[in-house]
Amino acid sequence: MLNPLAGQIERYMDLLSARQKLVASNIANVDTPGYRTQDIDFQSEFLNAAGRGTPHTIGVPDLAVKNDGNDVSLDRESRLLAENALRFNLASNLMRSQLRLVKSAIQEGKS
Amino acid sequence: MAPILPISGVPSPESIRPAGQSKGGGAFQDAFTSAIQNVEAFSQDATASAQRFLSGEGEELHTTIMATQKAELAFDMFLQMRNKVVSAYQEVMRMQM
Amino acid sequence: MSLFSVLSIGASGMQAQRVRAEMLTENLANAETTRTPEGGPYRRKDVVFETTAAASPFASIFDAQMNAPGGVAVSEIVTDMGDPEKRYLPGHPDADKDGYVAFPKVDPAADMVDLMGTARSYQANVAAMSAVKDMIQRSFDLFR
Repeated sequence: MLNPLAGQIERYMDLLSARQKLVASNIANVDTPGYRTQDIDFQSEFLNAAGRGTPHTIGVPDLAVKNDGNDVSLDRESRLLAENALRFNLASNLMRSQLRLVKSAIQEGKS
Repeated sequence: MAPILPISGVPSPESIRPAGQSKGGGAFQDAFTSAIQNVEAFSQDATASAQRFLSGEGEELHTTIMATQKAELAFDMFLQMRNKVVSAYQEVMRMQM
Repeated sequence: MSLFSVLSIGASGMQAQRVRAEMLTENLANAETTRTPEGGPYRRKDVVFETTAAASPFASIFDAQMNAPGGVAVSEIVTDMGDPEKRYLPGHPDADKDGYVAFPKVDPAADMVDLMGTARSYQANVAAMSAVKDMIQRSFDLFR
């Protein structure tokens, strides 16, 4: 009914949501001793078409570690926050037009 | 003048068979059947997704909305096809015999 | 893990940073306090954070078991019990027999910097909640 693109957009939105959750956790724990930044490998999770479940959480290399063992960078997290939100916005717009396409195709049949 | 031949029996009613379904209706029939199945399947998906969302199992909102939209679209499609069938039937009935 | 639970993560971040800001402000306000109800000079307080599971009224037990990354909470408030700073001020009302007055070991500059950091962290949490709220709203827009 809906083409494969819609399925991919939905997967994209799933991954963006998962990533945004981790960003929010990272931000909330910016001052927690010993806390390590969490993320997901977006590209490989997206290309892994088989996956439908929760993406796998990974750590982030090359982050500066503060004296208390915390490695959260507010700069990085704020940037990701904005980026994820924009991408989600784009995806939901794409999805909406996919839905509208099918809807009007069905309506056109009404004569 | 040709000889008068005996009248052969009137064909019995049983041997007159109904016109039978034309093969051309097959494609639409398949589409119609699968439309009905879609409505059922998508509707169940949507219900399950909504239940998961409401019970806090971590179902994303956009997933539930998409499932609901798909169910609505499937139903719309089915409705349009049903209307087509009905109007085709009515048109046939209107034909002067 | 739904996007909704992220709102409580952001809220917990804001809450924790607020407690920290309160402590830092108290330290700064009492940087010169030599006399407290408990006796002795003011003692510097600090907060310790710890990660918590994302709690939300709608989250299920399934969520908590998944060891999902979560919010943050103040696990304890630590009071500095070290020796206070002594300054030689014989005329001071709180001077001891040797003329020394016990002052709090508060470094105002350091605490000011920390306070600014706290404000920034607080803002970041606010931004996170705002971004997530927007994403949820856009999901709703799929209905139109």
